[in-house]
Amino acid sequence: MIFNSLTFLVFFAMVMAIHYAPFFSWHQKKINLMIASYLFYAAWNPPFVILLWISTVVDWWAAQWMVRAKRERTRKLWMLTSVIVNLGMLGYFKYGGFLLNNFVTIAGSLGIIYHPPGWDIVLPVGISFYTFATLSYTLDVYLRRSKPAGHFLDYALFVTFFPHLVAGPIMRPTELVPQFEMPRRATANQIFFGLALLTLGLFQKVVLADGFLAPVVEAVYDAPGKMPGMLDSWVATLAFAGQIFCDFAGYSTSAIGVALCLGFAMPDNFRFPYGAVGFSDFWRRWHITLSSWLRDYLYIPLGGNRHGQARTYAALMGTMLLGGLWHGANWTFVVWGGLHGLYLSIERWLKARFKGFTPGRVSMLGLALLTFLLVNITWVFFRARTFAGAGVVLRGMAGMQAKPDLLIPFGPMIIAMVIVSAIFGTHLTMRNTTLEAVVERTPSVAIAGIWTLLLFAVIIEQGQGSAFIYFAF
Amino acid sequence: MPSSISHSDAHKAELRGVREGALPAGLRQTAANRPGQAQPVPTRDIPTQPWVKIGAAVFVAVTLLMTAWEWNARTNLGLRAGDLDDSSQAWAEQRRLADAAPVAIVGDSRILFDTDLARFQQMTGVRPIQTAIVGSNARALLESYANDPNFHGLLIVGLADLSYFRPQGVGLGGPYLKNFEKNDKPSQLTALWIDRFLQRYLAFMDSDYRLSRLLPRLDHGWRKGVDSPYEDVWKLSETFDHRQTFMWHRIETPGYLQKHARYAWNLFKGPPLPAFIARNVVARSAEAVRRIRARGGDVVFIRPPSAPELRAVEDGRLPRSKGWDLLIAGTHAQGIHADDLPQAQRLVVPEWSHLSRKCATVFTDAYVRKLIQLTPRLKLRADAPPPLSRADCVPQTIASL
Repeated sequence: MIFNSLTFLVFFAMVMAIHYAPFFSWHQKKINLMIASYLFYAAWNPPFVILLWISTVVDWWAAQWMVRAKRERTRKLWMLTSVIVNLGMLGYFKYGGFLLNNFVTIAGSLGIIYHPPGWDIVLPVGISFYTFATLSYTLDVYLRRSKPAGHFLDYALFVTFFPHLVAGPIMRPTELVPQFEMPRRATANQIFFGLALLTLGLFQKVVLADGFLAPVVEAVYDAPGKMPGMLDSWVATLAFAGQIFCDFAGYSTSAIGVALCLGFAMPDNFRFPYGAVGFSDFWRRWHITLSSWLRDYLYIPLGGNRHGQARTYAALMGTMLLGGLWHGANWTFVVWGGLHGLYLSIERWLKARFKGFTPGRVSMLGLALLTFLLVNITWVFFRARTFAGAGVVLRGMAGMQAKPDLLIPFGPMIIAMVIVSAIFGTHLTMRNTTLEAVVERTPSVAIAGIWTLLLFAVIIEQGQGSAFIYFAF
Repeated sequence: MPSSISHSDAHKAELRGVREGALPAGLRQTAANRPGQAQPVPTRDIPTQPWVKIGAAVFVAVTLLMTAWEWNARTNLGLRAGDLDDSSQAWAEQRRLADAAPVAIVGDSRILFDTDLARFQQMTGVRPIQTAIVGSNARALLESYANDPNFHGLLIVGLADLSYFRPQGVGLGGPYLKNFEKNDKPSQLTALWIDRFLQRYLAFMDSDYRLSRLLPRLDHGWRKGVDSPYEDVWKLSETFDHRQTFMWHRIETPGYLQKHARYAWNLFKGPPLPAFIARNVVARSAEAVRRIRARGGDVVFIRPPSAPELRAVEDGRLPRSKGWDLLIAGTHAQGIHADDLPQAQRLVVPEWSHLSRKCATVFTDAYVRKLIQLTPRLKLRADAPPPLSRADCVPQTIASL
């Protein structure tokens, strides 16, 4: 089920009605939420609910046995069991075909011809998200950062809680399980603000990402045999920067709004990322729950910055390459991650080299623009799916197409650029504040007007129910 | 050791997570600010505003705007409640039914618009399953049925020559055909049902009149060398239950929309098609027909009419002798060409490519009567309505010309 569907609106109305019905105890309400969450997930592909159960049960018992273990080795064994089961499922469903194809290619280059049977495995929606969420549970317990959850129901609800289940934010058990321990009831203000956030998220997804930006992106990136020129290539790539942000941040904002309506707090996943000055700043703002997960469970265990320069750069690159691979079983995603790793490494080196440098206002703006520009280069690999396709667009961006094809009509181009400029300008001006702080300062009439327009735009856009891009990850 | 999960060790206030009033900038931290530790319950601050009043105002304003939009859709745009729109889910629903159906239809928009399913049923007792797709290539659909071991019925392949005789890989049914069997997820089915329910009452819910379709149409070809959205095909049809599709009444009326619809068929202009394309298409079609027949099924090709203005373009690029005739001869299948149906001559083709709603019924009547002669799979019912003629759909003033 996706948030931008009529099914979800009916589902959510029913969940709200049941959640706030006076005749259920808190324990029963949690069971209701868990059943609703399973229905939410099963609405996509019922058999894959089994994977959720496996993930839930294995990690619950792994953590239980970890704390009961007397010997360090036994603790490690349970941690490894959890890691192997979770990454095994992820590897099988998400990377099986990719690994097989690469094996065939390598074998072929060694003269070994191997024709494996077709790998026609459906990717369970959101497996990358809930796998990381449950892994953080056992890893936190193993690293003695937290104790295991006290009740299985609370833990199972943490894994399946539908607002974050399929596309994040990737929650840690310490963020959510405590919230299940005591009865929660949203105030009227929370519910209405939650609905406002849900509207904002849907507007980003349905109107901006799907309605106006996706067609511009597709005109270039999904036009096989066409050679886009400089203008078309840049416009399509900038439009994709807007699309991927509106798609994913739209989902996160909707998820936060939905959870808020039910009385739960979920963490920020985006903090005006295109207003970032530098790449470490970008990754503190873009998909925060993933970048912090990778930092806590990959970068730091790989040594982080505690073992000298060379090890730090290696850990950085390793983390970003694997982070790229997390987004999809394709080498283009690895290159996307690698480019970000490279940017982060160069930035780190420059910061060490020019320690005393403090940018002024103009320099900040220039650096923000440069950051945005370089991030856009990486989006080419993220969107293109193949290196050949990425090469075509990159050549176009560099103005190297001898006879470029004109692909994007002027009207949609203008609309897309207005949207992207508005996103970039908003991020730049709001980079040091929060949406909530700005909303608090805004007159109520203006908020009502803006909310009305957003909701009306969502309704008359009549979304086509296309899935969020990150569902595929 | 931090023990954030443990309720007993944490302050209840911290566990609340939700705070009235916006936090000052910089105080709402994220996991990015807390490396290498268990993340605490996040804080969500609710901006101080009269949210209930704002929500009520938004509800009233949106209701008013929607009422105005619906009124505009009905009165100015001519949209009607009950037009259910088409979708890949709606197509997949019919496609799944087709496996057990005695008759299924594939093709492009012509056979889709020009077949009256109810008339077909009145005459034969069989309601065909409509799986034609706007803008598609009937050949791709024919091949998909040929590859489906469960289909044993009669397949009616409706075609517009220039659409059917396209190079391999062009217009292949798009998202409808691709992995259609995956379009039966519970969430997709419920979305389809809810969507249909709403569209029976709301006229503005029409994918051709979405906000993101309307705005780009302001571009009347501002960038030379690129087809603007203004030049695309706009809304031509209305869709009802079982994907029964008819021409939209506004296209039948002379005026701006009809002219625009005719203009869109400039897409059909071009040089004559190379002979090798026709050879390839016939060869592939023959193989598909052979496979369906080998399973006990059968195939009949139908070529619906087009207006003389468009027909001249079509014949210029692919005359009947180099397309249709080769196809029928090469596949050894039965074929019904509109040219050969006396009752289907000089029907109303408002935008040159598809029949008017009334004439679709007349054409259906004509081709079904012929079809019954060509295949033993269909019989004319004893209580079948009498034959229709051009006079049943052409306005008297025009009919007398």
